[in-house]
Amino acid sequence: MGLLQMGTMIQVLALVLSQIHAFPKPEGIQDKSLHNRELSVERPLKEQIAEAETDQILKIAPPENKAGERNYSSDNLNLLKAIGEKEKKEKERKSLQNSPHNKKLIMEEVDSTKNRRLVDDYDSTKSGLENKSQDDPDGLHQLDGTPLTAEDIVQKIATRIYEENDRGVFDKIVSKLLNLGLITESQANTLEDEVAEVLQKLISKEARNNEEEPDYPSSRTENYAENLPEKTTIKPAIQGGLTNGESDDTVHKTWTIPNTLERRNKLYTEDNFDDLQYFPNFYALLKSIDSEKEAKEKETLITIMKTLIDFVKMMVKYGTISPEEGVSYLENLDATIALQTKNKLDKNAADNKNRFIPDKSHEEADSTKEEAAKMEKEYGTQKDSTKDGSNTEKNEEPKGKTEAYLEAIRKNIEWLKKHDKQGNKEDYDLSKMKDFINQQADIYVEKGILDEQEAETIKRIYSSL
Amino acid sequence: MGVRGGCTLLALGAALTACAWLLGSAAADGEPGAAGMRRRRRLHQEDGISFEYHRYPELREALVSVWLQCPSVSRIYTVGRSFEGRELLVIELSDNPGEHEPGEPEFKYIGNMHGNEAVGRELLIFLAQYLCNEYQKGNETVINLIHNTRIHIMPSLNPDGFEKAASQPGELKDWFVGRSNAQGIDLNRNFPDLDRIVYVNEREGGPNNHLLKNMKKIVDQNTKLAPETKAVIHWIMDIPFVLSANLHGGDLVANYPYDETRSGSAHEYSPCPDDATFQSLARGYSSFNPAMSDPNRPPCRKNDDDSSFVDGTTNGGAWYSVPGGMQDFNYLSSNCFEITVELSCDKFPPEETLKSYWEDNKNSLMNYLEQIHRGVKGFVRDLQGKPIANATISVEGIDHDITTAKDGDYWRLLVPGNYRLTASAPGYLAITKKVAVPYSPAVGVDFELESLSERKEEEKEELMEWWKMMSETLNF
Repeated sequence: MGLLQMGTMIQVLALVLSQIHAFPKPEGIQDKSLHNRELSVERPLKEQIAEAETDQILKIAPPENKAGERNYSSDNLNLLKAIGEKEKKEKERKSLQNSPHNKKLIMEEVDSTKNRRLVDDYDSTKSGLENKSQDDPDGLHQLDGTPLTAEDIVQKIATRIYEENDRGVFDKIVSKLLNLGLITESQANTLEDEVAEVLQKLISKEARNNEEEPDYPSSRTENYAENLPEKTTIKPAIQGGLTNGESDDTVHKTWTIPNTLERRNKLYTEDNFDDLQYFPNFYALLKSIDSEKEAKEKETLITIMKTLIDFVKMMVKYGTISPEEGVSYLENLDATIALQTKNKLDKNAADNKNRFIPDKSHEEADSTKEEAAKMEKEYGTQKDSTKDGSNTEKNEEPKGKTEAYLEAIRKNIEWLKKHDKQGNKEDYDLSKMKDFINQQADIYVEKGILDEQEAETIKRIYSSL
Repeated sequence: MGVRGGCTLLALGAALTACAWLLGSAAADGEPGAAGMRRRRRLHQEDGISFEYHRYPELREALVSVWLQCPSVSRIYTVGRSFEGRELLVIELSDNPGEHEPGEPEFKYIGNMHGNEAVGRELLIFLAQYLCNEYQKGNETVINLIHNTRIHIMPSLNPDGFEKAASQPGELKDWFVGRSNAQGIDLNRNFPDLDRIVYVNEREGGPNNHLLKNMKKIVDQNTKLAPETKAVIHWIMDIPFVLSANLHGGDLVANYPYDETRSGSAHEYSPCPDDATFQSLARGYSSFNPAMSDPNRPPCRKNDDDSSFVDGTTNGGAWYSVPGGMQDFNYLSSNCFEITVELSCDKFPPEETLKSYWEDNKNSLMNYLEQIHRGVKGFVRDLQGKPIANATISVEGIDHDITTAKDGDYWRLLVPGNYRLTASAPGYLAITKKVAVPYSPAVGVDFELESLSERKEEEKEELMEWWKMMSETLNF
């Protein structure tokens, strides 16, 4: 029942949180300050573009560092330094092509960008370091203020990996998510694929960009504009996880409430519940999840809730929203949980069975199942296979054969991924494998080992991966 | 602001996670239908191995599936075509498929030479699938085998015969229908009868190995050879096989050379020079098959004479004389040691029994594979390190020599003991080495041969040195 409730809870949360836009948007304030900033000084167009780009990089840089986390502040510093250098280099290059006198100005721009806070309301006595961290949450919005989609998150992760030139970033993120149980191995694999794809695009784009005078902001937004709906199923899981993972650290550092430091280590501390006591419904839900097995789910739920609460607390603290608004929001949340839980429990009987095989089915839903469904449609109706060589056998055979081949290919890809991961290689072996298989398939057709149709099928399966 | 955004993100994340789960559950609904359709074809499926009879198309499909699953360690090829045009398919498993790595021994399994002896054919398909599965699961034994051996598996040498046998209605299949190839030739009597030549040579002097030089020419001109036989002979000549097994049905025993009796009588123990080695190899198969090695097992048929069976093994001639068989042809024309394994009292048993035949033979098949890593192996090179191909390796006390392959590599299967090995080649001085051979693994022994001309040069130099010294002394 716990698992069920957990699922319910998640869905409830989802529904609730998706209604956040009822909440007053503080973006207006941000935009305003940006706006004001730009108007107050006349600057060359190029500088403004460069500056905008820098801002964007800052936002992109640590996509997982939301909610003003502090733990990775040193990471951020290095990252920003690296970005700054990169920026410097690009700008130097650009300025070489332009007039030299801009150089000095541009360099200054880079430096001043580091110190500039995107939200002027932030406490100016804080060190530049922490302000940068506070800037990070802004990474959640694009330049034009629309919220990020799952596609964007992948983009950001890829960009970060690219800029840090370290795929350890990705591994860190993914292992956290796996530990929290928010994604499965296969989802992690899929994410890896997607990030690799985007990374590849980035690299090639950068290479292209390095050869000509680019229009940075527009090319970036171009990527963000792509929203492939089918990918959203996986990445937001990452988003949620990323948030949770990082906010644990957030809580760790920012709050001076006693016991903060222990919070991370204790599974069911009273502190957790202290905070949550203001949410009777959620509290009740947590209490009802008792068994050992669901310990992990419980922990995840608590983390999610705590994250939310921390968000709100911080927003209140920094004056983004008023305390009353914060409280009312959280109260709304709790009420909605109660309502949705009740509704969901009514529907749970039917969903019960399906809950337990989400991962496997989901993985199959990826490519192999689609492919199988496609193949099945193509090959017509199914009949029992007989061994006396009648025509009915022919219909059944191609389909059974295709499935068998699909299955075999899938096993190979899985093994490849596992094998490569252990060897710490990039997953570009897949394209090598594809080429190899295509080549071999042709040879086999020549030798009479495969017939043309089979070879086509195999090639098609591989190209769909 | 950032915090605000973070909240949105979390919301999105949670929302979409929920969607993912819903999607997952929706997709799950697709399963039962598909499974039903596959029902018939995957009767007893276990880990991708379907325990049912494979006709030619299914055989091909099964091998292709193995290849698709393990393309980096497998390769399918064909050694030729049957009389009716079916490919004689082989699947090769090795860490570098398609390549002979110097020092890596080559192994082959051949099944279904008699078309109606069906168990071997199926077992070999299961074996190929099994090796691929286990490789991917990280089974160390299998991984080592595949990395250190080149394993060739030919499930059926007589696909035409099998089709005929399998097409018979009903469960009980005739003892003879489908046995021979499409021309009516019994493939296991169709090979050049080298036994007879050897027996003559034994009496009158002459070699007993690598008989029939110019093999290819003779083979191609011989009209009596079936296309399947020719294909196998070419295969044996092309690849330096070391160990092999030929799978049959109709009884339950591991049979070793010689198959043909020396005197020509119906039953006579006819040992070959490597009798001790062969007994060990045959036991290497039978001892892992509980039914085969059961001393109290009743004979397959009431009046069968299994008096020659010992520990599930038998000498060929002792059991009954077989001239022109593939097993002896291997031994006498190449370096390959082959045994014949009879897997089932029933030549074409019911499909439901296939799974239990696999269980009975799985370990035997694996263990027999490992027998290839026994005895002595190494390289024969000249003093400059260049390999000497076709050098002779003789073992004192065993009147059967083997030769080195193209890279100068050789593998000499031997039972444990102390031996003196001699490597020789035309134009080179032979070298003898003493070797102590354990049960396993194979002992590495390399030879560096000095060519005769090099020795002559050396001797000339020595002579010159001596003359110089002498003349200096005398003239002093």
